[in-house]
Amino acid sequence: MTTTAGTTTAVAPALEAVDIVKSFDGVHALKGVQLSVQPGEIHALLGENGAGKSTLIKIVTGLYNPDSGEIRRDGETVDFSSVSSARKSGIVALYQELSIVPTISVAENVLLGENLPSRAGIVDGRSMRRRAKEQLDRLQQRIPLGKLAGELSPVQQTMVAVARALATDARVLILDEPTASLTETEIVEVFAVLRALRAEGVAIVYVSHRLEEVFELCDRLTIMRNGETIVTKNVADTNIDEVISTMVGRSADSLYPARAESIGKVMLTVEGLQGRRVKNVSFQAHAGEVLGIGGLAGSGRSELLRILAGAQGHKDGTITVDGTVLKRRSPVGRVLDEGVALVPEERRSQGVLLGTSIQENIALANLSQVSRVGIVSSGQIAKIAKRGMEQLQIKARSAKQPVGELSGGNQQKVVLAKMLARRPKVLLMDEPTRGIDVGTKAEIYRLIRELAAAGTAVIAVSSELPELIGMSDRILIMHEGSISGEVAAEGADDELLLSYAYGRSE
Amino acid sequence: MTNQKESTRTTAVALQQSSRRVGSVLISGSTVFALILLILFFFAMRPDTFLTFVNVRNILYQISILAIIAGAQTIVMVVGDFDLSVGATSSLAGAVTSVLLLQEQGLGVALLAGVAVGLAVGLVNGVLIAYLKMSAFVATLATMTSVVGIAYLVTGGTTVFGMPAEFNQLGQGRFLNIPLPVYFAIGISILIWAGLKYTTVGRRWHAIGGNVEVARLSGVNVRWARLLAFTLAGVISAIGGILLAARLGSAAAEQGADNTLFSVAAVFLGMTVIRSGASNLLGTLVGVAIIGVMSNGLNILGVNAYVQQVVTGLIIIAAVTLSGLKTRER
Repeated sequence: MTTTAGTTTAVAPALEAVDIVKSFDGVHALKGVQLSVQPGEIHALLGENGAGKSTLIKIVTGLYNPDSGEIRRDGETVDFSSVSSARKSGIVALYQELSIVPTISVAENVLLGENLPSRAGIVDGRSMRRRAKEQLDRLQQRIPLGKLAGELSPVQQTMVAVARALATDARVLILDEPTASLTETEIVEVFAVLRALRAEGVAIVYVSHRLEEVFELCDRLTIMRNGETIVTKNVADTNIDEVISTMVGRSADSLYPARAESIGKVMLTVEGLQGRRVKNVSFQAHAGEVLGIGGLAGSGRSELLRILAGAQGHKDGTITVDGTVLKRRSPVGRVLDEGVALVPEERRSQGVLLGTSIQENIALANLSQVSRVGIVSSGQIAKIAKRGMEQLQIKARSAKQPVGELSGGNQQKVVLAKMLARRPKVLLMDEPTRGIDVGTKAEIYRLIRELAAAGTAVIAVSSELPELIGMSDRILIMHEGSISGEVAAEGADDELLLSYAYGRSE
Repeated sequence: MTNQKESTRTTAVALQQSSRRVGSVLISGSTVFALILLILFFFAMRPDTFLTFVNVRNILYQISILAIIAGAQTIVMVVGDFDLSVGATSSLAGAVTSVLLLQEQGLGVALLAGVAVGLAVGLVNGVLIAYLKMSAFVATLATMTSVVGIAYLVTGGTTVFGMPAEFNQLGQGRFLNIPLPVYFAIGISILIWAGLKYTTVGRRWHAIGGNVEVARLSGVNVRWARLLAFTLAGVISAIGGILLAARLGSAAAEQGADNTLFSVAAVFLGMTVIRSGASNLLGTLVGVAIIGVMSNGLNILGVNAYVQQVVTGLIIIAAVTLSGLKTRER
């Protein structure tokens, strides 16, 4: 398959990944992945979260070493031991964040790295500005060279990052969600630049969740799922619906317990909620119900949960828990007292103190329960920890074992135990099973179901559609901060959910 | 079969853990070991003077004020911050109390005023850092500068003395032939130790020092807890400063200044004592003892005071390197 947009070539691919295998701690992240990108081609790399796109990018840019498989540049096998060796061979990846240094000038940003022109160690300012200007001219950008990069608009920052890649003579440019923070008109500008680079023969790998953009810009696309490349196609030969159904695939699910038979009273009412990344969200959740929330990364799912938990403020709207209206700007502690508990997205940095024991972690959210007049009782702590460890079947040597020594699944159970000891009326869970083995996943789904059956309203955010459908009774989908669709989970259709997630309501 | 596999795995894990434990004991033991070595060294050099009752009492007397101020520093460092104003605060508190006594105010009023000064400086630090989100470095450096200035204003730039005997007695008196400041230091240390270990506030401080975000999402009111830590540090430093003025029988604007860096050094030294590498009061006291023994021993050997200062700097570097090793080991 060597057809690029219209031209048939015998030219060797600019970048080729052959049979790449990579596993982490025995879990296969990539199981024999193929990717082939021609010079002068914009090639989309698509797949759901966790499909393996970012692992693949990290391998071709030298950040990870593959367990087996080959990377070829212009037909020659290369072995990247580091990011700089990949860079030397002309492969550069640009990520959404971190691509510019805000506190130094535009010119310095463009020439950052080994390319600062200098004489005897003193930076040659004039030559630096001249060379930076050459690169920006190539992109037809007029950005003041002396300005601090942090003062630029997002699109200008993107351009500076691209210019820097070109300054290191990039022949393969990998862009990860380059348009995430840009407006429509800015996107048009970026596309024009990318097309110009394509005409110069640069190979571009374009990772995006925005399928419309892919169809507007790209020549070919490769779809990944569960660590495998499913198909590579000319964009002209396919359509969005086909791409979505290929991305989703199918998997049997005996993982999930039966759904709720009856739903109880309203536990949580959210009306007109406005905040960072959350626009006018209203919904209700009921006792006994598991309410799933889906949407793409950055759609405001996590922020919605954080606002509900008091971890992030909101501008407008009301939150009512079991008949009590929460005061605006209530901190997490107050919201917990009202019965709303959050199991956060990032377990290791938000959920547990890794160097601290299981019992201390559980006690932390329950200090008033285990103390009297400000003095903690170690007996009470042991009791509450024992109860939690039994209820959740946490596997550990003892309650005094540091949480950092436990497996991911058991760490997640500690976070749950900590919050369940508060007997929440509403339990918010952000990615409840991320990074957890399948066995423990099933346990957590069962537990969620038991909690709901006992009268808790469970609200769970998930990026994985099968999980979202399997564990929930009802599903809300978010798109750019608002709820773009509501579906009953029973018999829910992946494609419908995804089209809501992409903001394509019919 | 699975049982056997399981049991070999357990043994392997246990072995690994015990070897890790040995390693951590070596590293954590090294600070205590260094203290013992120092004591042995000075004892060997001056067997007739160093380990006598009088000299040991002397060392305890000398380090009691530092122990109190290092205790204050420990609290702030458990929360993951530090306080550069503890020394200045202690001087100001000593000066305010002394000047009020010279103006013939009652002892109770003067002592309360001194403690109130510490409370005020601590509150300002806490508000700046916890609520106005200044960095602890900038905020406490700034308050330190101003507090030193106020202390000069209060003392009129001179050393004030001639306070009533019952005040000086607090710092110079003895009970069972041991100076009173030693008892104060022991009492305050026990309170801080118990507070850090057994109170809900102590748990919150530890959690914040471990990971602010985890603490916040667990319902800890982080700002309030940090404000409390700085306020308490101010109060405790003030008590240390008042005792110093009583011990010396005089007050000057910068007489507690050395204690700031020594207190940070002691806490750093103490962080190497426990496995988790966190600030802890017992470790801090070991650190205080190292600094005290060092200074006393070098004095006995007749080493120049400036050389002593150089050595102290080297000890701080050694301490920070050691605690760095520990964190890397985790």
